[in-house]
Amino acid sequence: MTRPEDLVARTFGVPPSVVTDTTSNQSLAEWDSLGHITLLMELESTYGVTLSPEESMQVTSVAAIKKLLADRGMA
Amino acid sequence: MTAGTPSALSPTVKAAIAQALEAADQTGEGRLAALARHEPSTLWRLVQDGVIDLPSLSRHTRTLVADACLGVAAASDGGAIDRLVTSLRHEAPVTALATLVDRLTVGERSPVLLEALFAQAEHPHHRQTPALRSAAQHSIESGDAARAHALLSALGGADTTLATAQWISRQRKRLADDPLQPIARVALLGSFTLDHVLPYLDLELRRLGFVPDVYNAPFDTWAREVIDPGAALRRHDPDLAILAVALDDLLPDLADRSLASTLAAAADLAVQRVADAAREYVAWSGKPILVHAFHSVFIGRGDVEGRDGPAGSAWLAALNARLAEALHAIPRTYLLDVTAVLTRSGAGMDAGKLRHLAALRLPPAAMPELARTYARHLAPIKGLTRKCVVLDLDNTLWGGVIGEDGMHGIRLGHTSPGAEFVEFQRFLASLPARGILLAVCSKNNPDDALEAIRTHKSMVLQEAMFSAVRINWQPKPENLASIAKELNIGVDSLIFVDDNPDERELMRQLLPHVLTVEMPTDPARYRETLETLPQLQVLDVTEEDRARVEQYRTNRQRDVERDTTVSLDSYLQSLDVRIGLAPIDDASIGRVAQLFQRTNQFNVTTRRHEQADLQRMRGAADWRQWTLRAGDKFGEHGLVAVGLVRIADGRWIIDSFLMSCRVIGYGIETALLAAISAEAIAAGAMRLEGEFIATKKNAPALDLYRRHGFVQSDDGTTDGVERWTLDLPNGGIAHPTWITQE
Repeated sequence: MTRPEDLVARTFGVPPSVVTDTTSNQSLAEWDSLGHITLLMELESTYGVTLSPEESMQVTSVAAIKKLLADRGMA
Repeated sequence: MTAGTPSALSPTVKAAIAQALEAADQTGEGRLAALARHEPSTLWRLVQDGVIDLPSLSRHTRTLVADACLGVAAASDGGAIDRLVTSLRHEAPVTALATLVDRLTVGERSPVLLEALFAQAEHPHHRQTPALRSAAQHSIESGDAARAHALLSALGGADTTLATAQWISRQRKRLADDPLQPIARVALLGSFTLDHVLPYLDLELRRLGFVPDVYNAPFDTWAREVIDPGAALRRHDPDLAILAVALDDLLPDLADRSLASTLAAAADLAVQRVADAAREYVAWSGKPILVHAFHSVFIGRGDVEGRDGPAGSAWLAALNARLAEALHAIPRTYLLDVTAVLTRSGAGMDAGKLRHLAALRLPPAAMPELARTYARHLAPIKGLTRKCVVLDLDNTLWGGVIGEDGMHGIRLGHTSPGAEFVEFQRFLASLPARGILLAVCSKNNPDDALEAIRTHKSMVLQEAMFSAVRINWQPKPENLASIAKELNIGVDSLIFVDDNPDERELMRQLLPHVLTVEMPTDPARYRETLETLPQLQVLDVTEEDRARVEQYRTNRQRDVERDTTVSLDSYLQSLDVRIGLAPIDDASIGRVAQLFQRTNQFNVTTRRHEQADLQRMRGAADWRQWTLRAGDKFGEHGLVAVGLVRIADGRWIIDSFLMSCRVIGYGIETALLAAISAEAIAAGAMRLEGEFIATKKNAPALDLYRRHGFVQSDDGTTDGVERWTLDLPNGGIAHPTWITQE
């Protein structure tokens, strides 16, 4: 399974080495509102999940993405 | 591990591994695959120490090993990496190669490594995403802005995902723009989020040669922006404004499936608001505006509508007809059928959950197509429309080769294959009415080609529609230069349409200002390719445009001297032409027999030897045969030339020499003659003789012997056969320097 760090790195075009659990829309300049929409599309297509509107607003960090996948029994 | 670090494996272990690998080929390769997976560093050590010889492995295993080695090589000595890359040549796995480059700093990347990467990125057929991305990154970091821009554009074409498009537009911001490049200003005024089109619009405008300056008005401010003299829109002063107002934003009631009658007043107001905005804008700006037609997520999905049901497709069509009418009364205002853009994009009507989450009214997957459509409207506004389309004939206006297939053999008619070409011609026939001239440039015998144009019943394009015609065997760039001169326009007003990638490459190299269209291989897509070409778009047809077409037609001169001489050397060198020579064998004899039956043009004697004759010659001591396969950097041409020599009393006589006219102009005939002369010399022959029989069609082969130093024999022509002689002690015929023999 694609690691969330790699997915975030790919989505925002940054080296995987700079992405950690604490990487978020606050810490990464590329993770702006348009970037967030791109990330939602990538998350849904990569992991085959459908995010609720609430979840869509909450996945603003790598840790939050991991929690979401864990909640779905995917981590 | 770096150079000088002693190997982790003792000599005994290495010897044992080497022995094991040698002993069992299949098993050995299986073990290598396992090593590649679990012990890449050990494997890399073995490759560096020469224990594993890459060229001796199967291609599959070699790729696995290369992948593993490149993956762990970043910390190694540069010389070792270079040797690995050199031994892999073009087989280096692209993702691993790109990842390795990314891991190294600019200074650590060796010329050998970069050459391998750029070869993968810039090769016209490869253009693989990881290589393009990595090569672009390197160009940015090493300060080569022009190359970086080109690679980023290519990457945008190869990978259209939003993430990549955004990455590209962010990288552009790190790059200097060429100060001489013109700027294109576009403003977006919408009732919904249009941010997703921005990275794609950036890509499309740059593809047209502009530095983009795009103003995206704040969310849902369109109505205020057009009237407020203090709005940023006025300072931006766009070349083209785009008004994107969604019907679903103006009429939220559509979502509850209201009846058309209850919506009538609100619908009138919607048309009026959009038309008012366009009118306001045009009045103060004096510049064009492109207005989205109405579309709705709730209408036109194929729902059951009934006779008196809710507002449906017919209601929406009527509403759009009223919008079109209102806009038509406003100058410089153009309507964009958004539903058609969505259909073409294949993205569907709806943005799904993003409609709510991000106020999108158009699906993100439609954004590349939407950006192309915007750019297509901007092109004529910025004067990019070209004046003349120059068309090839064979396999462009009809299927097949007129000189070989004949009037009844070419594919052109109302059933496929052939219908594709009729459809393409119908589109082309519409261009003169829009002020765009048509011309022909074809390598053919003029009589054959003109007969087809004049008398073939399915030709849509008529001779009188062509403002200039060049049907000859001259290089096409010469012909286009002469067409431009005849029509008194620049070569930068020409569009060149040809199915042959070699002709296109030649044109791009020798006349880069001609727009050479990258044609699809499938003729069913020819029409679409030109229909959507930005440089063929016309927004308003003026009387002058129509008059210009007439004027060129009446001024047409038939015989214009060919006064341009272009050097073909550098082009031929760059083509990487490769040939392989072999006698006729069981696998090739069918194709050879076919060439004998079909080749009319480059054929010195047009003797139609059949398969049984050829079979007999294969075993005969007094016959020699050569077949020639050719290819170049664009791909394989296959078996394209054949030579037959008859030996009588020690005389070497060329009985047949034929070549497909697809490969005329590359010096392939010289390579074949060189091979024949070399073999004659080796056999002790003093002279090589050539026979020539003139036919109506074989003009292209007319000067073959003369060009290669043969002289016509004194005894002249007997029974219609010319005899030509080359004295071999002079050294025979030189093999062309630009052709590699494999």
